[in-house]
Parts: sequence; C-alpha cells; structure tokens
Amino acid sequence: MDLDVTSVSKQPEPYGQAPAAIQVITGEDIQRSGASSIPEALRLADNLDVAQKNSHDWAISARGFNTALGNKLLVLIDGRAVYTPLYSGVFWDVQDYLLEDIDRIEVVSGPGGTLWGANAVNGVINITTKSAKDTQGLYVEGGGGNWLQDFVGARYGGMLASNVYYRVYGKYFDRSSEVLSNGNSASDSWRMGQGGFRIDSEASPQNLLTLQGDFYLGDEKATTGDTRTGGGNVLGRWSHIFSDDSDMSLQLYYDRTHIAIPKPAVFLDAAGTLRDDLDTYDLDFQHHFSLGDRNRIIWGLGYRLTHDIVGEAPSVEFVPATLYQNLFSGFVQDEIKLHEKLFLTLGTKLEHNDYTGFEVEPSARIQWNATSKQMFWGAISRAVRTPSRIDHDLREPLGGPLPDLLDGGTNFTSETLIAYELGYRAELTKKISTSISAFYNDYENIRSSSTELPSSLLVFKNNLEGDTYGFEWSGDWQVLDWWRLHGGYDLLEEDIHVKPGKTDFSNGLNETADPQQQFSIRSSMDLPENVDLDATLRWVDTLHNNNGPNPGTVPSYFELDVRIGWHPTKNLEFSIVGQNLLHDQHAEYGFPGATTTEEIERSVYGKVAWRF
Amino acid sequence: MKKIIWLAAIALLLSGAPELPAQTGISREYQVKAVFLFNFAQFIAWPTNAFADPQTPMTIGVLGDDPFDSFLDETVRGEKVGEHPLVIQHYRRIEDVQGCQILFISRSEDGQTGRILAGLKDKNILTVGDSDGFIKDGGIVRFVMEENKIHFRINLEAAKSANLAISSKLLRLAEIVEPGSD
Repeated sequence: MDLDVTSVSKQPEPYGQAPAAIQVITGEDIQRSGASSIPEALRLADNLDVAQKNSHDWAISARGFNTALGNKLLVLIDGRAVYTPLYSGVFWDVQDYLLEDIDRIEVVSGPGGTLWGANAVNGVINITTKSAKDTQGLYVEGGGGNWLQDFVGARYGGMLASNVYYRVYGKYFDRSSEVLSNGNSASDSWRMGQGGFRIDSEASPQNLLTLQGDFYLGDEKATTGDTRTGGGNVLGRWSHIFSDDSDMSLQLYYDRTHIAIPKPAVFLDAAGTLRDDLDTYDLDFQHHFSLGDRNRIIWGLGYRLTHDIVGEAPSVEFVPATLYQNLFSGFVQDEIKLHEKLFLTLGTKLEHNDYTGFEVEPSARIQWNATSKQMFWGAISRAVRTPSRIDHDLREPLGGPLPDLLDGGTNFTSETLIAYELGYRAELTKKISTSISAFYNDYENIRSSSTELPSSLLVFKNNLEGDTYGFEWSGDWQVLDWWRLHGGYDLLEEDIHVKPGKTDFSNGLNETADPQQQFSIRSSMDLPENVDLDATLRWVDTLHNNNGPNPGTVPSYFELDVRIGWHPTKNLEFSIVGQNLLHDQHAEYGFPGATTTEEIERSVYGKVAWRF
Repeated sequence: MKKIIWLAAIALLLSGAPELPAQTGISREYQVKAVFLFNFAQFIAWPTNAFADPQTPMTIGVLGDDPFDSFLDETVRGEKVGEHPLVIQHYRRIEDVQGCQILFISRSEDGQTGRILAGLKDKNILTVGDSDGFIKDGGIVRFVMEENKIHFRINLEAAKSANLAISSKLLRLAEIVEPGSD
C-alpha cells in the first residue's frame, strides 16, 4: 500500500513504515463495500469489533471492552474529537458525512495516548475528509431500500479564487426499524439531515488554511417517544511550512451537540426527558522539526474547554448539572535514527484534567526495516482512561432518607494500561502483503461498583484489574489483475477480575462484552462491461454480554454483504447493495429474550450516483 | 454471569434505545430490592453460632414464588461477606428452610406469613418481605411503597430477639417501627 498515514506519528509516513497496528480504509474501499454509514465503513477494519445494536446504535471497540458504555476508543473527524464526556463513548448515530468525500479512515488498535491523549487507550480512529481541491464539481446521489428507505446527497465544489477551493454538501436519509427477536418491529426508525462546507486555501505555498463546518438534525422514533439530536461544528486550521523539515500547525474548533432522550415511567420514577447540551472549544498547536539528521521531533500544546449541561430526568442526574471542564495537554516525541534501518521513537504526553490532575502517557517504539519489504516493530506504552461524568457525577437517587441506588465515585481515578506490542508488516510478494500484530495489555483500576452505605447502595470504584492479550492478522492478495482478496482475523483473550480483597457487585464482568475471535474475507472483482462485484463474509464469535438485565450470550454468526456496481459512463454509477444476506435476521449485541433482543434484518438498497 | 442493570439502564437511555415493553424477567422494583438484600448481608452481624465455621456460606433464601427471576443468583455469585461465600437458596415450604441467614418471604405466601414467621421466631434469620402487615406478622424488615417512593421499615425488637446486630449505617436509613405496626 502506497498511502501515507498520519495517526501513528502525527506526521505523514508510508503505511509500510508506521510502527503500530494500523489499518487503513480508503475512500475507494468504502465505495466498493456498499457501506452507507461510518459504522458500516468501520466493519472494513479487521482490528475493530463492530456490532450493530439496533437501527441507529453501534458498539465499536478495539481489543475488548465493547460494552454499552465502552470508553477506550478515541475517535476524531478531521482532528475534532467526537466522544461524549458523559461516558467517554461515541454516539455513532450522529457521526456522519457524505461518504463520497471521505478520504480515508485510519484505525490504530493499541494505545495512542502519547500523541492523542487520554481515552485513546485501546485505539484511535482518525477519519479524514478529502480536501476541497479533491472534491470539485457536482456530485449527486440518491436511492433507497428496505432498511435504508430513502436517501439523497449532493455536493458542489468550486473555486473562490485562484488556489482557494471550496465545497458545500447536504444529505438526508430515512431509515426504517430493525426487528425484535420475535420478528416484530422494534419501532426504532429514524432520519437525519446534515450539511456542511469546507474551504481550503493554498494561496501561499508556505501557508495552508482550512475552514470547515457541519450541522445536523436527527429524529429517532421509539415506543416511548422521539429522541431528538442536533449539533454542529466549525473548525479552522493553519499549517505553515518553514522549510523542508520544519512545519507547524494551529487548529481551533468549536463543537456543539444536543440530545434529548425520552425516559418512560418506571418503578419509582415518573416519565421525563434526559437532555444533554455540550459545547466544546479546542485549541491545538504542533510543531515538527528535524534536529541534525538523526532526530525528527514533534511537539505540541493543547487546551480544551467543555461546557456540559445535563437536564435531569427523574432518577438519573449528573451533579453538578452544569459543568465547565478544562483540559491542558502537551506532548513531545522524538524519532531517533539509531541506524540506517533501525529507529527508536520516544515520546510522552502530559495532561491536566479537572478530575484527576496530571496524567502522563509515555511510550517507546522501535522499528526495524529488515528489508525494503519487511518491517518489524515493537512498542511499550502507557495509556490512561480519565474519568467521565458518569464515573464521577452520576446520581441515581431513591428519594427520602434512602441512599442513592448508584452513584459516581468522587474518588474515582483513571484506569491505566501498560501495553506491550509486537508487529510485522511485509510485502511477501508483489501480489501478497500481510501484517500481524500481537499485544499484551495490563490494566489497572478498571471501573467496578461496591456498596457505600449510608450514602449509596452502589458506588463506582476502581476495583478491577487484569490483562488481555491476542493478535490481529490481515492480508491482501492480488489474485489476478481484476480480482483482489483481503482477509482478517483477530483473537482476544481477556482476564479482567476483581482485585484480591476487594469486591465488585458485577463480579468483574461488567466491563467486557467481546467475541474471542473474528474473521472476515473480502473479495473485490473488476468485471468486464464496467461492472464491480464486491463481497464480504464475516464471522463473529459468541458474545458474552454481562451488563444487562439478563445474563447471556449472543450466538456466533456468519454474515455476508454484497455490492454490484455498474458504471456505464465515467460520470454515472448504479449499484445494488445487499447487507446481512445470510439470515432473515440475526443478533449482534444485546441480551436474549423474546422481546428484549434487537436483531438486524437482511437488507438491500439501490443507489444512483452522478459525478460531473 | 453478573450484570449491573442500572448501568445498562443508563446505557440504554444514553444510547437512545427504545424502552421495550414489559419483558420476561425481573422488574426494576425487584432489582432495587435485590441490591438492598445485598447490602443487608454486608451491614448486619450474625452471632458466631449462626455459622458452622468461618467459611460456611451465608445463605439468602427466597420462600415462595421468586420475584427476582435469576437476578439475585447472578448478583451474589462469587461474592463473599467476610469469609463466608454468599449463596441463594429457593424454598417452596417453610419446613425446608434451614441454615439460612436472610429469608425473603414472597407475596405468594400471603395469608400464611403469620404462621411462617411464628415458626422462625428466635432463629437467627433476618426475615424480609413486602406484604402488607409483614411487621405485624412478626417480620423484621419490610419494603413499603409510599407516594411512589420506596422505604424500608425495621422492627428493632424482632431483630434483637433474633440476635442480629444491625449497623448504624443501615439503621439511619430505615424507619424504625414498633412490633405492632404494619
């Protein structure tokens, strides 16, 4: 693969040279797979566990801990962090873009704390959109099917001045409900509209300026009432090139999200609505330079202010309801050329957050370019998952003199990881390339819950520890000029348990919900008459999901997605996409029971796209 | 397998999943009561002769229909109170009850509660129930729903007769009531 990746060193380096477990999903991979949303596109990364929960929600993680409140993954879109400080997870239903204009998605499994900060414990997903220069002209798409009922999208790109490019886009879709395990509708249909713009200026050769923004509105139906989502962001970035080996960039963004979830009346509580409004202001600076011919140094400073307002629902509160939080960070990393083929990268991040104060995330990476086609790498890193509002500020009162049912712990501290990794990446022949990464993760202070009368029946604590280990393999085989195969396999062993002498109400089982193995095979064929045929077969192992109303397992499953595309002319493309074709419906997540498990139906959609 | 459903309830809430209509399994009311039982086991002291030896299991018994579904079993599995592993037993008849430290008497036994509690008098068993008149019938702890709020009442005299020492941390949260009350 000839691509440059940026997620491993915060500067472009060839994929073959990146000393981490990184997988790249290109814009073309996304188009060919028939993915119609970002979570569907993420299925293409073999190092992720991607589970569709219902019509709008997904559970996505790397190397374990894929619970409903999974919190160990950092996700960025064009440098903007998209997780919620309520529980450090991602609302996948509101992360969207015109997929045509996504340049690539870099998925790093393993800790990225040194460069990317706290919460990049098990992985970093970096979604980058194409520059405006690469999205000139008019693009229109539309179509529909049984689950993706109807959708339309358009983008127009032009020039504002010489070397100043822009684009504007809009998209809208309706998705229908998924089903319950008894075949009835789950009544969770939804729709979303989103639009945005991007301006890139190359007016001066040393200065690149980018201004971009998006806004969205969504509406999700449920038997208990509609959930409304809305938000927007604006981001500016200035890159300045001092010389061939020295450059800097300064980025500022503002992000706003709003969500209102209806809560039905349940034991002890009236019905209500849980609202959250979040404003994020983020300033980020980085400078990269070479020192002599053996050191490439990158360092940076960052500041983030979040302003979160939670409107309480009966029996669920976050205290204080309104919270300003400050996050200061700095990092430095040096890539040292020990030898012609041997590189040692040392770095650390230092952060200060309002809950736990200073956190340090150092790492050391070594890379050996054994031949021009083979590379070995190893790494030891420390990463930290800092408390989120649910760990610290949650209150579930029972009223009167009674203790709270479940509270955040005011002494809740950060979860920590020391990760040991080894990897190998090679072009075995001109047609076959492969990569394999192995890891051993040692976790401390993972979230647990215990009694703390008289104030709380249950309180969050950090009484779990343990380790996980496994490996990830992926390979590409250009079988023929017109036929490519890609395979991926993951193994994950987990031993997370209660610290000796301590207790956990859930006995160590609340934080994990992961399949032990997964594999997938993808076939891509360029057929005659301008036809493309792509198919992906995936298999996911049994899921033991421990944090729900009933204990249980989701059975292992095979599933198949197929796309047939036809481009009769350069500008016009028709495609039919079938997803989850092997079963009428199947479960990927959740808890067993006739009415409580949501399952995913077989679905098909057709699409027309014009590129002018 | 264990689970912390409040966490899941929050998760369901935050991830916007629909609240599905009354499902098989335990209701939230009994999830809350189960967490209370878990706390009772930790904040009450039984006399040493209530256990054969320090490693004897501490048993929470459920007499009658089980309103907890399998939740209590899941909740306590693997837990310990001091050195005693915590176990759950299900009983159909009062005659079968032996060697348990906490006994939850289900509403299915309404009408016989008085007779049942009379037979348990002066044994070192914490009797817990939510039926009307549970305290009057001789029970020690009763869950009460009042104005959409849950309370629990403790008959301290009955606790003393059963030789149980209740931690002040638990007492201050309860309504202390006289033997004759509801």
